[in-house]
Amino acid sequence: MAIGDDERDAQGLPLFVPERWDREKSGRFFDSDEHGGESDGKGNHPAPNLIRSAAPGVITAKLDQLAALGRANSLWTLTFGLACCAIEMISTHMAHHDFDRFGVVTWPSPRQSDVMIVAGTVVKKMADPIRLLYEQMPDPKWVIAMGTCATSGGPYYKSYSVVMGVDHIVPVDVYVPGCPPRPEALMDGIIKLQRKIKDDAKGEQIDLLQEATDDRTDA
Amino acid sequence: MTTEQQHDTIDMMLNMGPQHPATHGVFRMVLTLDGERVLDVTPHIGYLHRGSEKLCESESYGQVVTLFDRMDYIANLNNELAFCRAAERLMSIEVPERAMYIRVILAELNRVASHALFIGTYAIDLGAMTPVMYGFRERERIQNLFEAVTGARMMHNFIRIGGVKEDVPDDFGPRVRQLIGQVREGIEEMDRLLTFNEVYLARTRGVGVIDAATAISVGLTGPSLRGSGVAYDVRKDDPYEIYPYLSYKVPIGENGDCWDRYYVRLQECYESLSMISQCLDQMEAGPTMVQMRRIARPPKGEVYVHSENPRGDIGVYLVSDGTDKPYRLKIRPPSFCNLVGLAPMTRGSYIADAVAILGSLDIVLGEVDR
Amino acid sequence: MTAQTPNPPSEGDGEPPPAAAPVHRGPPIAIAEEVLNERGERTARLLAEVVGPHAQESGGRDDLPWAVVAPENLVEVARKCRNSSELALDMLHLQFAVDYEDHIQMVYVLFSMSLDRKAILRVNLPAEDPTVDSVVGLWEAASWYERETHDLFGVEFAGNPDLSPLLLFDGFEGHPGLKSYPFNDYQEW
Repeated sequence: MAIGDDERDAQGLPLFVPERWDREKSGRFFDSDEHGGESDGKGNHPAPNLIRSAAPGVITAKLDQLAALGRANSLWTLTFGLACCAIEMISTHMAHHDFDRFGVVTWPSPRQSDVMIVAGTVVKKMADPIRLLYEQMPDPKWVIAMGTCATSGGPYYKSYSVVMGVDHIVPVDVYVPGCPPRPEALMDGIIKLQRKIKDDAKGEQIDLLQEATDDRTDA
Repeated sequence: MTTEQQHDTIDMMLNMGPQHPATHGVFRMVLTLDGERVLDVTPHIGYLHRGSEKLCESESYGQVVTLFDRMDYIANLNNELAFCRAAERLMSIEVPERAMYIRVILAELNRVASHALFIGTYAIDLGAMTPVMYGFRERERIQNLFEAVTGARMMHNFIRIGGVKEDVPDDFGPRVRQLIGQVREGIEEMDRLLTFNEVYLARTRGVGVIDAATAISVGLTGPSLRGSGVAYDVRKDDPYEIYPYLSYKVPIGENGDCWDRYYVRLQECYESLSMISQCLDQMEAGPTMVQMRRIARPPKGEVYVHSENPRGDIGVYLVSDGTDKPYRLKIRPPSFCNLVGLAPMTRGSYIADAVAILGSLDIVLGEVDR
Repeated sequence: MTAQTPNPPSEGDGEPPPAAAPVHRGPPIAIAEEVLNERGERTARLLAEVVGPHAQESGGRDDLPWAVVAPENLVEVARKCRNSSELALDMLHLQFAVDYEDHIQMVYVLFSMSLDRKAILRVNLPAEDPTVDSVVGLWEAASWYERETHDLFGVEFAGNPDLSPLLLFDGFEGHPGLKSYPFNDYQEW
């Protein structure tokens, strides 16, 4: 980043010429590359609260649950529709299947949103922007993969340019299947995410299979 | 301009990236700005390129219909119709008349739904937050009917080669008539709110003007071309299905600005609704699917068929080698061709106008990138 | 489609054994009739007048006549088609490539907005080095069609100022539109 005396532009301001224009792809680029960038299959976990890191030993269980209640009931989603599922996502936000009653508001900026609903096919060209947007979202954040394309590639599994599921790029918390999923299915996904947020704070884990088995009275 | 010439300025590049609330999908525009004036715009597409054309070569004709559904995901039935007509032309199949009436009714309803979404999202791009709610309310009504007829809200897979998948339910006639009345009232509400609204006129009148000669050379089709005064509508000039039996007008614009393109689409909604009621009057009982083999094997040959999508002329060029999978299927997406006209329209306007112009072209990225 | 098992190579024979031609099993492949209707006949006559001796082959179906021209004559023929007062083919509706393995065929679909005419021009290019002149000077719509064809098929267009990748990401190797490009056999990432 040398600024020589002769490197000035027409107005006399120093001309910024970086040493390399492309960023290094290997090594630690994103903050989440710390643990080798591997996911533990359980989605995103919000960072522990400040009190716990400042004064370890203080039990903050009820505070965590209160914070989780607040976070779950006011999820702001990033306006991130990629393909056809985006239309169903917009329909869910509209007056008929109102999403606002869950506290969900669609917000265009990643810096102020909580959830990224990846709605649509993830194409290799779009993989970098998706990762960038994910990293721009501050903690705590969650990701919902909406539709079969975002879950596992969907009807484009034979294609040369499709990423088989967005979980190759970002850790996903809730998968909503469907092509496209009905608005009611997406609302179900948000409800499950709300439960996950509240249960994570309690330290419990919802086991959907166990629940479904318990609901059945007879074998 | 004299004030600007006194200072030495440099041009700024502004990136409206793939994630943007006003770009209607994953579309990236790089604007070269001189202050607030746009000097040039470079569109970058390909963020939704799923390789549909290559995939079509490995899927049978019945599966290709589902791929077409997902290309222009707002006007699904029009796409299915375009492809099925191409395959039928190659196989010399004559679709029964009742099937043609059902196809046209569904296609026109889908056109109204697509234009309702256009009006709503165009208004919210310009800052009006209410019409989008009304537009989606009309869309919900139409999608409700689609669910009753085809079984799905969006990806219907209903128009098949040789006809339609199955006959419509018994209460189709009265239900559609009631729907037409309700949708007409909803569109009229949006019309009253927007069309001659002072703010709306100030934002769209005189913005993004393109003259007829440039529009034709660039390849614009559909309402964007008709807004510039060129009277070309595939339903009138190259009629297909049962459009010759319907009487309707084709709205043509005068100035070629954003307001004209919006007004053409608005009037098309009303014309489509009247077309649907004419179809219901003329429709008679009969078969809805031609007797043919389950696996479509068109003979060796090539065919090019084009039809009127809500966004323009969708063309399907089908090269068949006699097997049950297409050899080459080339899709002419109207939004892809309309996007070439973005640069001539946007040069010289302001940044806010760039959003208005992009919205008035009514692009769908699934179709642009395929 | 079964192939006979190739014979094992004999000693001292460095060449691979010849592969058997694929056998088609199934009903005989029908060939569609290519018949022009009245409108098409009229346009075909006008097209023959305009294209003249450059037409190597011609034909048509319904109202769309087509003509095959040599790559060197393409721009001249296209200009005559566009400027002729009888044809007035002022819109390039579609331009794309078909990969026939041993050659690549470029197809130009031309429409007339003012008159009732449509025509198709075809150009056959060799598969190893597909190069043709660009028609961007005649129809602005060709700019993106040619970029896409260059991306997906590798066809070079001489005279197009901007052939940067349109649909594929920077650094994509290969031309996916070609038949030789394999399908993804469910490969994760």
